[in-house]
Amino acid sequence: MKSHKAADMAAGPYNYSYIFKYIIIGDMGVGKSCLLHQFTEKKFMADCPHTIGVEFGTRIIEVAGQKIKLQIWDTAGQERFRAVTRSYYRGAAGALMVYDITRRSTYNHLSSWLTDARNLTNPNTVIFLIGNKCDLDAQRDVTFEEAKQFADENGLMFLECSAKTGENVEDAFLDTAKKIYQNIQDGSLDLNAAESGVQHKPATPRNPLNTDQTPNKEGCAC
Amino acid sequence: MADKDPSDVSTNQANNPLTRKLNKILETRLDNDKDMLEALKALSTIFTENNLRSRRNLRSDIEKRSLAINEEFLQSFQAVKEQLDSVYSDVKEMNECCQDMTNRLKAAKDQTHDLISQTTTLHAESQKLQMKSQVADAFLNKFQLKSEEAKIIRGTRDGALHPEFFNALARVKQIHSDCKFLLRTNQQTAGLEIMESMALHQESAYERLYRWTQNECRALTGDSPDISPVLCNAMKALLDRPVLFKYSIDEFGTARRSAVVRGFIDALTRGGPGGTPRPIELHSHDPLRYVGDMMAWLHQATASEKEYLQSLLKNCEVQESQIEDVLGHITEGVCRPFKVRVEQVLLSEQDAVTLYKLDNLLKFYHNTIRQIVNNEAALLSTLTEIQDLSHRMFFNSLTCNANKLLDRVELPPPDLGPTSSLTQTLQLLRDVLACHDASVVPIDDKKQDFKQILSCVVDPLLQMCSVSASRLNSIDMAAYMINGIYLMQSTLALYEFTDTRLEMLQAQIEAHVDTLISEQASFVLTRVGLSTIYGIVENHQPSQGPLSGIQGMDPITVKSAMNKFDSYLASPDSLTLPQCSLILSALVRDNAKRRAVDLICQAYKQMYEAIYNPTNEYKEPQSIVPRTPDQVVKLLS
Ligand SMILES: Nc1nc2c(ncn2[C@@H]2O[C@H](COP(=O)(O)OP(=O)(O)O)[C@@H](O)[C@H]2O)c(=O)[nH]1
Ligand SMILES: [Mg+2]
Repeated sequence: MKSHKAADMAAGPYNYSYIFKYIIIGDMGVGKSCLLHQFTEKKFMADCPHTIGVEFGTRIIEVAGQKIKLQIWDTAGQERFRAVTRSYYRGAAGALMVYDITRRSTYNHLSSWLTDARNLTNPNTVIFLIGNKCDLDAQRDVTFEEAKQFADENGLMFLECSAKTGENVEDAFLDTAKKIYQNIQDGSLDLNAAESGVQHKPATPRNPLNTDQTPNKEGCAC
Repeated sequence: MADKDPSDVSTNQANNPLTRKLNKILETRLDNDKDMLEALKALSTIFTENNLRSRRNLRSDIEKRSLAINEEFLQSFQAVKEQLDSVYSDVKEMNECCQDMTNRLKAAKDQTHDLISQTTTLHAESQKLQMKSQVADAFLNKFQLKSEEAKIIRGTRDGALHPEFFNALARVKQIHSDCKFLLRTNQQTAGLEIMESMALHQESAYERLYRWTQNECRALTGDSPDISPVLCNAMKALLDRPVLFKYSIDEFGTARRSAVVRGFIDALTRGGPGGTPRPIELHSHDPLRYVGDMMAWLHQATASEKEYLQSLLKNCEVQESQIEDVLGHITEGVCRPFKVRVEQVLLSEQDAVTLYKLDNLLKFYHNTIRQIVNNEAALLSTLTEIQDLSHRMFFNSLTCNANKLLDRVELPPPDLGPTSSLTQTLQLLRDVLACHDASVVPIDDKKQDFKQILSCVVDPLLQMCSVSASRLNSIDMAAYMINGIYLMQSTLALYEFTDTRLEMLQAQIEAHVDTLISEQASFVLTRVGLSTIYGIVENHQPSQGPLSGIQGMDPITVKSAMNKFDSYLASPDSLTLPQCSLILSALVRDNAKRRAVDLICQAYKQMYEAIYNPTNEYKEPQSIVPRTPDQVVKLLS
């Protein structure tokens, strides 16, 4: 126990180095909230209440030896919430776009979700397509192949998952994080810009005077 | 024994001494007597010549020889004796020496006895002291800081915190509390002294910890604060000093508060990398998006700040309300810039629909953010105020519309249809109710709003219609009102929570329909000349005598009127009031028509029965009223 603590100290005083913001989108009932719950709690919540507006969950993961905190915003899929949920795309580093493999209509709506995602996030936002409920293969209404093709055509990452069995859920969230991390590493994601959806915690001890690179603009607030 | 042995002859002989001597000699076995043999052997060395003389001298020889040997022996022993004497004197001397030594030792022993006993005492004492020293060491171990611990507590000049600081602090605390045991023993002075010294250590340690924490917290102004485990431990340790804990957490709150304000302003004015997502203010021309984006940003920031706060206090047992208080402080800074902007939007917006959408949006966020912060939070009260404003602005706008309606009342158009202000207002109502349909607020709020909206729109509309209709004749008025109210009714019928309103409107339509049908019926009766006749029939009393005797009721007059009625029966539509045809709703129109016919049939039946009544003394009633009421009903329906 104690040695573990000491190792922590040696590795750096911080719990995690980055915060990645995710948004989960898709039609109502495709299992967005269940996916989030499965990922954060490792449990299937069968009688998940309807999401009202937006809710969020967090979990710390590790990518390439870096601890990363995922802050995941789950939105309501109902049309009447669309105006509200649209405001949450801003500043997302990852967008998980979910459809239900047993309901074709949820797949057909993907292009409209994708348009929103492209228009309202920054160009580096990683969009991951999830075909949920793959445990219900008997009721399948969308083939893997066509969804895969849709993903390829639009440059999306893609997996079929099940929030119920947990299959591939971990991978979908982690692969998204890896991709974002890779974007940071090769410099295509600029962390200094606000609302990149990624917040970096410096690994060097901070200097109390160096609070931020930008001058405090509080004065112009009013 | 010899006398009893008769056979032993020699017994007598044996008793002879000589015999006995001889026997003895004979019996002597020389070779068995070693001494004898030795003696003989020695003798043979000196007795070399066996002759008489020598045999005679043997004895003296032997004696001489013995003497010589003895003399020699003596001489030899003389030397031995002298030697022994010398040994004896040596031993004696030695003995004396020993005696002397013994005496001396004894004296020494006597002398050292004291010393030994002294030594023993000292030894025992030393052991006791050693024990005491061990106890003292143990005591010190337990009740005193090690020098390095004291150093850690005292800290370095740069104010950095040693990793072992918390252990040292824990030791100080432990010692301090252990002192209470001392106080119960007879070591009270030590207890008090140690306690005092520990208290001093503790105070300086907390002071240092507080300074450190304060500095650390003050620096947490980044987009996402770096809350180190050490800082979490520091907060935990500071829990023992509630005032310092509060100051530290306030420091954190202040740092975060300015970070949130800066982040908010950045999101408003700078946007994302390369401008995507765009700065929120870029959408200020689109009030819903502008306000929605600000609200979403605030929601996310508030949720994140709560997380940071929770991770800062993850080792501390604090109440949720305390966290919420701090969160309230953190989110307080953005209230002003946020409020100013939203107020500006609300005050410059005139469109009721947009205002209503904004109102709903704010209501939604009020509910959402209320789940994160507590009721005392400035952010929430700001939201309440803003939402209050949006509510007022919306109803203001509705009332404004209504006032305009009443200020400039349009004249009814010739077709008695709705005025353009009525259709416009109803369109507005539809738009408002439609966005209510898409609203994100709970049902209860919705119901409440509906009531208010309806009374804000429908009541002035009704009023406007009445005012506008006031110069019309009653038939035109009825038709005009029916058309107007019907339009309102059909608009409302599409939405929930309108049942009471619909019922009320229906009742008003009925009332106007009643007017219209009675006008229609009397119009028909008048045109065919039956209205006077019907009036007399209706009011006829038996005391007046038979009907046929009353003026104007003679068979000829009645018959001619009935003939005209008959031609009406041939083409009933010819006598429909134009206003009835102007009723927009086919349903109401048909209904009115049917009910007018009912009235006419009823009137006919009454007249028919009166004429057939013998007391009225009409001869040949069938020539006057040839059609039965049933026939009339059939013809008219
Ligand atoms: N069989 C199955 N059912 C699922 C799965 N994920 C979600 N559901 C069910 O689908 C329904 C809608 O899930 P929910 O998470 O509320 O959908 P959301 O509206 O997208 O948030 C719930 O009744 C879940 O029990 C899954 O992977 N397999
Ligand atoms: Mg949901």
